[in-house]
Amino acid sequence: MSRVYGERVEITARDNRPLRFVWRGRLYGVLAVLEHWVVSSQWWQRNNPDTGVPPEREFWRVEASPGGNIPPAVYELRRDAGTGDWLLVRVWD
Amino acid sequence: MSGPAEFAHLHVASSYSMRYGTAGPAMLAARARESGMPALALTDRDGLYGAVKHAAACRQAEISPILGVDLALRAGTPAARGGREALGVWDAPGGREAPRIRGALGIGGAPGIGEAPGTGGSGSSHRKPRGRRANPAAVPPRLANETAARVTLLALGEGGGPGESPAPGWASLCRLVSAAHQSGERGVPAITPDLVADHADGLVVLLGPASDVGRAIAARRPDRAAAALARWRERAETVIEIVDHHGPGDTGNAARMLRLAREVGVPAVLTNAVRYLEAADAPVAQVLDAARQLVPLGRRHLAGHNAQAYLKDSEQMARVAARVCGSGSCPGLRSCPGRCGDPAHQLLADTAALARQCSLSQADDLGIGRMHLPETAGDALAQLRQRCQAGLARRGLDSDRDAARRLDYELGIIARAGLASYFLTVADVAALISGRGIRCAIRGSGAGCLVNYLIGISGIDPLEHDLVMERFLSEGRKGLPDIDLDVESARRIEAYRAIIERYGEERCGCVSMMETYRARSAIRDAAAALGLPPHEIDAIAKAFGHIRARGIRRALADLPELRASNLAIPQLTSLFRIAERLDGLPRHIAMHPCGVVLSSATLLDRVPVERSADGLPLCQFDMDDVEAAGMIKLDVLGVRMQSAMAYALDEIERTRGERVDIDAISQDDKPTFEMISSGRTIGCFQIESPGQRELVTRLTPRGIGDLIVDISLFRPGPVNSDMITPYLDIKHQRRPPCYPHEDLTDPLGETGGVVIFHEQVLRVIDTMTGCGLSEAERRRRQLSDESAREDVRTWFGGAARARGYDHAIVARVWEVLEAFGAFGFCKAHAAAFAIPTYQSAWLKRHYPAAFYAGVLTHDPGMYPKRVITGDARLAGIRLLPVDVNASAGDWQVEPPESLRVGLREVKGISDAEVTRIIIGRPYASLRDFWRRAGVSRPVTERLVLVGALDSLYAGPGPRPTRRDLLARIGVLAGPARLVRARPGPSHAAPAISSGGSTERGPDQLALGSDQPALGPDQPALGPDQLALGPDASGRGDSGDGLARIVQVGELPELSAAERVEAELEILGIDVSRHVISFYEEMLRALGVVRAEHLHRCRSGTSVLVAGVKTSTQTPAVRSGQRVIFATLDDATGQMNLAFFESVQERCAARLFGSWLLVVRGRVRRPGRRMAPAQEGRAVSVNATECWDLAVLEEIRLSRGIRAVRAAMAAGDVPGAGIAAADRETAQPADRDAAHPADRGQRASGAVVYPTGFTLSPYAETGSSGGAMKDPPRKLWHASPGSSGGWISG
Repeated sequence: MSRVYGERVEITARDNRPLRFVWRGRLYGVLAVLEHWVVSSQWWQRNNPDTGVPPEREFWRVEASPGGNIPPAVYELRRDAGTGDWLLVRVWD
Repeated sequence: MSGPAEFAHLHVASSYSMRYGTAGPAMLAARARESGMPALALTDRDGLYGAVKHAAACRQAEISPILGVDLALRAGTPAARGGREALGVWDAPGGREAPRIRGALGIGGAPGIGEAPGTGGSGSSHRKPRGRRANPAAVPPRLANETAARVTLLALGEGGGPGESPAPGWASLCRLVSAAHQSGERGVPAITPDLVADHADGLVVLLGPASDVGRAIAARRPDRAAAALARWRERAETVIEIVDHHGPGDTGNAARMLRLAREVGVPAVLTNAVRYLEAADAPVAQVLDAARQLVPLGRRHLAGHNAQAYLKDSEQMARVAARVCGSGSCPGLRSCPGRCGDPAHQLLADTAALARQCSLSQADDLGIGRMHLPETAGDALAQLRQRCQAGLARRGLDSDRDAARRLDYELGIIARAGLASYFLTVADVAALISGRGIRCAIRGSGAGCLVNYLIGISGIDPLEHDLVMERFLSEGRKGLPDIDLDVESARRIEAYRAIIERYGEERCGCVSMMETYRARSAIRDAAAALGLPPHEIDAIAKAFGHIRARGIRRALADLPELRASNLAIPQLTSLFRIAERLDGLPRHIAMHPCGVVLSSATLLDRVPVERSADGLPLCQFDMDDVEAAGMIKLDVLGVRMQSAMAYALDEIERTRGERVDIDAISQDDKPTFEMISSGRTIGCFQIESPGQRELVTRLTPRGIGDLIVDISLFRPGPVNSDMITPYLDIKHQRRPPCYPHEDLTDPLGETGGVVIFHEQVLRVIDTMTGCGLSEAERRRRQLSDESAREDVRTWFGGAARARGYDHAIVARVWEVLEAFGAFGFCKAHAAAFAIPTYQSAWLKRHYPAAFYAGVLTHDPGMYPKRVITGDARLAGIRLLPVDVNASAGDWQVEPPESLRVGLREVKGISDAEVTRIIIGRPYASLRDFWRRAGVSRPVTERLVLVGALDSLYAGPGPRPTRRDLLARIGVLAGPARLVRARPGPSHAAPAISSGGSTERGPDQLALGSDQPALGPDQPALGPDQLALGPDASGRGDSGDGLARIVQVGELPELSAAERVEAELEILGIDVSRHVISFYEEMLRALGVVRAEHLHRCRSGTSVLVAGVKTSTQTPAVRSGQRVIFATLDDATGQMNLAFFESVQERCAARLFGSWLLVVRGRVRRPGRRMAPAQEGRAVSVNATECWDLAVLEEIRLSRGIRAVRAAMAAGDVPGAGIAAADRETAQPADRDAAHPADRGQRASGAVVYPTGFTLSPYAETGSSGGAMKDPPRKLWHASPGSSGGWISG
């Protein structure tokens, strides 16, 4: 089952590639990047949309595990290029 | 493997991919050049519309052009089906992307909160395609291609060599595109693999993610992908196209495509499927997507959209290659010699290799730069010479030595240019058109060519009017000269068909043009994409006149009527900003209004052709492209005045039995020129506008030569450079002619030293430098080019001084040339216009009723029809109402000199109804008409309202009123509705069930059965039911028996005002009385000056005038101001008004928003030095204030004339326009108005010409108000006490 969260996470990244992230106080190590893509934000929904390059949102779907004996699960992380904030979007476990 | 190569884009959509691409070919080519790319492809969707422009742009950028097309696969074919079946999951990228996840976790999931559409492959994005598949009929045809798979086809370059046929690749591309358009529905081009196989010679098929193969890959059906790929490989040269836009699922799909290619052994290339220049343009592409798919912007329709489809540079494309190949291990892809074994190298090298194979040469592959004329049998030049000799004899010039000399000279130039067959072809076309009895006249500089006159292309003798040939065709000029033919507008398509029939579609087609986004269309599409409600979109769009989209926000700030419109609010700013970015993008292809292309029999090898709405072959190239591709483009322009004159001539023949040969009339008819000189020229060709009517009264033409001058002078340049007054002073001998040098007496003699014509510029240059007319023409053309002008000046000064002209003379002559060279007018062109101008005036003078009938039927001019009828009334012509027993479809003359309104003027009447009315007459009664004419109820009611049935009851005794007749229509139509309602029990009308029976009473039966539009299930009339008909006739009902139900005079007759209101609403014309006659009392009370008396007022007098607004124009004027010129019609004539910028703030909204106006202003007389006698009626009013006449009348009726005066003095009378109604609440307008610097100043962005001539950016943009040709629906504001509806009972 997948669950949707949408919660802020702390990320350690190299060249913008996530290596580790902290979610609910727990550190998860990224084992593999399964997918990585970019989507434009819905600029037209803002009150006064700027019609330049719309801010992009970067999605990373990664295999990660908090370590120990816990088997890895799939986590989808989102980075808002405008603010630089990272969100955990959903989890398949 | 080759070494590092610069990347070349092989899949690029320009703005010629309609509502898809955003960048023009020139921008793309320039960017490719900047990025150091060796070549650039243009592969627009559905056509080769931009191909010639791309080739030119690449030549400019010094890169190699590659040409191709992106075409949809026909739905229903195995290929397209493969794609459609994949649709069910194709926009669920997340799910299909990671099989492990799918397997382990299933595809379901809660709706995403992320921006990634269908992340995890969840429900909503899933359902839509499935629904579509289940119900394919629900998809409109134009949208069918939206879901279709697409492939790209590229032409291979061959360097075919300079032959008649282009390289096979380009020819195949043209033919395939034509075939795609030919098959299936118009406007929905599509191909099948088999169709590609038919045209595979020299083509390469690129199968990318949008192809059937790509979709099968995305759907995780490698078996289907392999099968589809095999299908293509059997039919054509096939290459896999790798695209990774870094959207959801893109990279994985691209990797699997590459794997498939490697497994099967098909080459793969990398493209970026480009559709915009840079990432910042992505929102524009999104708006276009929404506009194309007719949906608002929203995630479902723009699945996975990001800003990656731009023209990436080689570096960026190398990174894409690395990502797809999963490599990235080689740090310097572009600098690495390729020995590191990185698979990305192979991909990039193969891409570069294909780009080299597809690079085309302009001349050899595309055939650009050579002429491809229709074949002529035998020696074309000898034939031409022979026909010219015959022409000399026919035109009575065979003993004229000047003519012989001129002919030899012209034939020499034609021979050296190799254009003899061109002239023969055009002569053939002209003869073809005239042979069908279609009026045909030459337009433009071709009238200056004696050969054209002799071989029947032109009817103007260039020697008689002293016209030169070089302006048309000069020695050493490249390309084909333009010959333009004017034909009757109503028979233009007939003329085209004749030409196409003669030359065949393999040689001949129509030229297309691109309709591009302008303010209104851009606002409509952008607002729809943003999801605004339709009625708001309509109101916003209509507020803007015909201005460019990029000027929307500036217009909001500049134009007073928009400042007052409440549109400049922050909520709309983003809409306008987006709309501005659509500026100039092509929207759809249309038939050029006059262009026909003629070529050798290889047309279809060099031009793709689709179908016009009329079913004519339509080239995908525009005028410029056709010329660049070396084909004859012939302008065959439909001219309404030619149709109007043809109609008038037929009417003369019909009513008088004489055929007037208008082309043979004497050209110095005194009464005609007297009429022109008095300004009574409404309806005439070229000289009917307010400004022209003023000019002709000052110029008082007495011959064709004067008309030629008049037409040449009435241009923005001469008007604003004040060439007119000096010319008139000399012409009317108030000043002696003045020449810069005595040698120039000859070239400038005809205009007393004033330079008016291009021809004079040529002669002046030739006289001063001795360079010959051909060189002079070349130099004249350079005069309008600012950068070249200095060169011309140096050359001219040197050459003239070498011939002994002193410094001062040279300087003076140069001054004249520089000032007027660019403004002058081609005399041959003016001469070609002067002929129909004179002919139309001659008809107006001698056969006024027939002339008005022609003008009213074909509507050639600028005025609404009611202005023409008003003019006819002033000329003593009686207007007869529409009459079902007398009117034809069009306007007709009724002897001696009356005009009968045509049936087609009735709003909403169909051609079929017109035909049935005419076939069925005479009619004896309303019932008779209702039964036999088969006219719909609303149209019948309109006919009654305008009195079209009055004549049926013209006999002795009381007659039914129009309201009686309307009520009777209700009776006639009423039961039919009940009958129709019968099948649906829930709709059963209570009347039927009276007496508990469904049997109808005799009245109902008899009345209902006459309904013309009944279905076949209607019971036939019984004999007893008919008894209600003729036998029951009473007095005044013309035997239709209806008098028993609605008695004669039961309802009151329409008042005179109501009649006129009905006429205006239904016909647009006040037939029975002039509208203004209803306001006579107030006009008298206010002391309004009437048009017929205005010329008696002294210059500077303050006056009040009033009337119906008949035109508004914002022409170019000297100061760069935007001046609004308006005309008012007050039944005694037309008055010209000028509203300068200083008064527009308070007047513009009301001026545009009202139809009936009262205006205060000062009388102005142009040409101050003129004696009043010569001045004639040339008088106008500089307006200072204006009011809505209808509103003032309301005040007068309710509160009296004093209240009117008070209201006018207070200046707070609201206008009828929406804009003015919102005035009080228009906060932004008030804010803008607070910038005094903005007011009374020239509008920002004025265009300043080198000669000091300044042009308002809003010149010629027209009004933002309603169309001038239609009166408003409501003339009189509803006020208490006036009858509300037509039937008071």
